[in-house]
Amino acid sequence: MTRPSAASLRLPRQQAPSPGTLRVVEVGGRVVGLFNVGGTFYALADRCPHRGAPLCSRGEVVGAIVPIGDRIVLVDEGAYVRCPWHKWDFEIATGKAPAAPWLQVRRYAVHVDGDDIVLSLDHATAGEG
Amino acid sequence: MSGLIDCDVHFSVPSLQDLLPYLDPASRDLVQHSSDFGLTLPTYPWQHPTGWTRKDTFSADTLPGTSLRLLREQLLDRYDVRYGILTPEELMCVSVLPNLHLAAALASAHNDWMIDHLLEQDKRLRGSLLVAAHHPESAAREIRRLGGRDDIVQVILPGGSRIPYGNPFYDPLWRAAHEMGLAVAIHVYYEGMGIAAAPVTAAGMPDFYCEYHALLCAANMGHLASILYHGILERFPGQRVVLVESGVTWVAGFLWRLDQDWRSCRSETPWCRRPPSEYVWEGVRFTTQPLEEPNDMELLRGALAGMHPAETLMFASDYPHWDFDEPTLTLRTLPKEWRDNVAFANARQLYGLPAAESAGVGAPA
Repeated sequence: MTRPSAASLRLPRQQAPSPGTLRVVEVGGRVVGLFNVGGTFYALADRCPHRGAPLCSRGEVVGAIVPIGDRIVLVDEGAYVRCPWHKWDFEIATGKAPAAPWLQVRRYAVHVDGDDIVLSLDHATAGEG
Repeated sequence: MSGLIDCDVHFSVPSLQDLLPYLDPASRDLVQHSSDFGLTLPTYPWQHPTGWTRKDTFSADTLPGTSLRLLREQLLDRYDVRYGILTPEELMCVSVLPNLHLAAALASAHNDWMIDHLLEQDKRLRGSLLVAAHHPESAAREIRRLGGRDDIVQVILPGGSRIPYGNPFYDPLWRAAHEMGLAVAIHVYYEGMGIAAAPVTAAGMPDFYCEYHALLCAANMGHLASILYHGILERFPGQRVVLVESGVTWVAGFLWRLDQDWRSCRSETPWCRRPPSEYVWEGVRFTTQPLEEPNDMELLRGALAGMHPAETLMFASDYPHWDFDEPTLTLRTLPKEWRDNVAFANARQLYGLPAAESAGVGAPA
């Protein structure tokens, strides 16, 4: 639920990003990345917590390359955002970098309200998109 | 320092003639008849300006590093060494000898000679298994032939190589060492010599020996990065690696760099599931000699702090070489709280060495 005190943005579902992509929006003067990961929406601040790069507006949505048995495979496509500067990957759903677990991208609350996606500058809570 | 473990004790086979009884007839023939007057081996292109060894370790009738009597007097007895880890001398060059089959035969002969003349003569000594690194299949055979002996604690490779040691070319060697539970030591030696492909540095070959000696770290930095990024310690869980005589103050900064680059380039080496440094804390150890000596020794502590020194450093003297680190005084330059670990506890754990009582050490055979 969006608290009345926090700036928010209501976006018709047709204007929301498709799965595996993001849309950069402005809410209350802040640049925010609205991501669609497999049909679930997440919002992250446009700021990499490592060195301040524009994480969402210039970053790239990617997957993870992992070893499975003897094979090297690409999995979880669309689940990570890669910083444009040092190329650290952050899990979109959590804002955490698997390779730098002490870092946290600021997350914002997103919920679906009928045919709209509502993004607010409230911090996301655990499990919330 | 009671219970000391010295992780770099050199001993020379006096001459190739001494290996003849240990060679197969065909290899013996090559050693005797090559180059008109017998086989010559790749060696350093530099002269040491003041001599390679301590002047008190040889005499008119004893070649440097060939006297077990002097080794006992000057190191094992004098410093109450509980275990001395033997490292080869000139024969480390087998891995840069072009004829890889002859190299493998010489390595085996060296190992059998070492068992007869050293390991069977003094129970305080432990052996490093010499192999022809550029012939990994033969290296694996040698590791399986002798690696089960209690007095063999590691495989030893020289810093000089054709390809860095993490490359899958060496998989048979790693597999055999892992199977036999042996550490793999990389001792600086023969960089840029024989068939070793790379010069000592990317800038080229140093002109002077003192340049080379200050750059001992170069090859082992390359091998360490290769071993970590090829995931040797991921694919061979529990494998132990020892970097010998490559200095230690570079380690922390180098690991910071490796970790930093891993975060950005993980997709290139996805089998490295964790930052490189984490594999180092678990499986890589560094011998202390030649311990860097800043004018203000307090600075050394700070330079080493980032490498988890109390867990990763193992004392080495490099007897009988010119840059010998005297055990008592060298250990005293380290903070007291690191000292026992560096002097013996880390090496005992890494090599799985028994405590003195059960080993019966201190009573030379």
